[in-house]
Amino acid sequence: MSCNPYMPMPAKLENVVRETANIKTFLVRPAKPLAFKAGQFIALTVPGIGEAPFTPSSSPTVSEKIEITIMRVGRVTEKLHALEPGADLAIRGPLGQPYPLEKYYGREVLIVGGGVGLAPLRALLFALFEDMGKYKKIFIRYGAKTPADIVYRKAVEDGWGRKEMDVMISVDKRDADWKGNEGVVTKILAPDKLKCNPSEGVAVVCGPPIMMKFATLELLHLGYAPENIYLSMEKNMSCGIGKCGHCRLGPYYACKDGPVFSFDRIKNLPKIWD
Amino acid sequence: MVSSFFPSQKENVVYKLEKAKLDNFLGIIAEGRELYALERAESQYHLVRSDAWQAGKHTLGAFRQVEPLKALVFRPRELLGSLGGAAPDEHIPERIVIGAKNCDVAALKIHDYVFLNTAPVDPVYKEAREKTIIVSCDCTDACEVCFCPAVKEQPYPKAGFDVNLSPTDLGYVVEAGSERGKQLLKKAESLLSAADAAILKARDQNRQELCKKVCAQTEKMGLACGADLRQAVEKSQGKKIWDDFAEDCVECGACNLICCTCHCFLLADGKGKNGANYRVKQWDSCLYRNFAAVAGGANPRRHRAERLYNRFDKKFSFFPQVLGSYACEGCGRCVEACTGKIDIREVLKRAVNEL
Repeated sequence: MSCNPYMPMPAKLENVVRETANIKTFLVRPAKPLAFKAGQFIALTVPGIGEAPFTPSSSPTVSEKIEITIMRVGRVTEKLHALEPGADLAIRGPLGQPYPLEKYYGREVLIVGGGVGLAPLRALLFALFEDMGKYKKIFIRYGAKTPADIVYRKAVEDGWGRKEMDVMISVDKRDADWKGNEGVVTKILAPDKLKCNPSEGVAVVCGPPIMMKFATLELLHLGYAPENIYLSMEKNMSCGIGKCGHCRLGPYYACKDGPVFSFDRIKNLPKIWD
Repeated sequence: MVSSFFPSQKENVVYKLEKAKLDNFLGIIAEGRELYALERAESQYHLVRSDAWQAGKHTLGAFRQVEPLKALVFRPRELLGSLGGAAPDEHIPERIVIGAKNCDVAALKIHDYVFLNTAPVDPVYKEAREKTIIVSCDCTDACEVCFCPAVKEQPYPKAGFDVNLSPTDLGYVVEAGSERGKQLLKKAESLLSAADAAILKARDQNRQELCKKVCAQTEKMGLACGADLRQAVEKSQGKKIWDDFAEDCVECGACNLICCTCHCFLLADGKGKNGANYRVKQWDSCLYRNFAAVAGGANPRRHRAERLYNRFDKKFSFFPQVLGSYACEGCGRCVEACTGKIDIREVLKRAVNEL
């Protein structure tokens, strides 16, 4: 294997699951096990086309096969979505910093996801499941555009079979069969929908920038401390190791110092939501 | 050896070299290495590759050459290899650069920080750095765009060189700045004598005079040497200054590419003629519209003014925060290269004046 940190190792696409019209989950088998921690990301390469950063959505306890849930949105993801099982890929990682789970011990953990933003949060959930006793309670508040855009729908609706979890979903726009909440995700963060103790809890947010912005404002309003709000900052990344300069966020590189930042570290930086 | 190409300040061994022996001396120390030296072309110098020092053709140069020295260790386009295949079987030869000036040498601090001293190490950069001996030289004149005193630098190197030459009327002061510099000088020992007080005094006087000259030409532009550029740039964020200067920016990226400190790059994949998938690492420019754009469409620096500000923010705020020094050495290359005639000194001057 190459020791050049910019070069990936070969990987095989083993399976593809369609989640929604434009989101698929790719099961990737790296040539060698790739161990990662929840919150860390990988760079996935379509050979000859390009590389893009993604956070795995599978359990960090499994390193032989990695699931990555990807929305078709750009040049590389367009090609990925056209691939069939058996295709050659390449993978590089783990990159970035993991969620500081030890800081969540003994506390309520609120997970706020928007759209495909639930994908990286699923890896976090699996990590939390490994040690459920360490956390006071887990809440999930998930927003999707329509019922058809809900990823891992059966698992989410069922709370991954964990009765002790408090799960609520909202859709921006209902369809004829939808009996649940309607409206943006902040609606299900309101105190009548979320019986938790913000001043002592932590909140982990991942979703599109606009959703992250309003969710953060709502969480602050609820009483979450800035240092207890963890945000996944989506930035243009190329090298993933803090050298190429693309993902700079004030004094940080999102790839090396993030991609997850507690809000207090970035709140004074300009244009964090763009 | 890799740990630091910039050893902390100490008393280096200094020698004297008679003027008449210079070509002989350089011929000896360059022997057996690929040589990069300066060649004069009208009012400028170019960095050229050669097999040996050629008297009359090569020169130490009065000021820095057009091409940034970084290109030798951080190449404009570097083939990283083919995916799944072996790393390219391409080795960097043992090299020597003669005539590098302080701006270029000091700029390597930035590249060392990025590629060497922040994990993981860039193996190709490391190899290039280890195989490149730097023989620097004091500036004896300044070009019109030089402004190093404004960014806390000076027209002679204090560190980062293997050997430095200081031309004086009494001959050259030859200083070894590293262990390998000392070793290299052993090859030409017979040409060197101990530096005497007179030549050291002459060197110091030359340095002071040139410092004064560059400082004067910088201050004539209205940019005070010693102004707090970090504060000036940080406080200027979002102000009209950036809209005004961005009006002239055509996003060509010349300032980034010619800059001795700019280190941003892009990993790009492609398919070769033989069908192999390859990856290259190539220089990128933060002035390009999509430099920070993500696939989903978000772009934190959608406007040109924001991108222009970003360039200054990186140089005068980010690097002072992470490394304790500006990522600008005052070489003025961007002033010469800018298609829109944006003068970094004018930009900094206005930022300072609007504090």
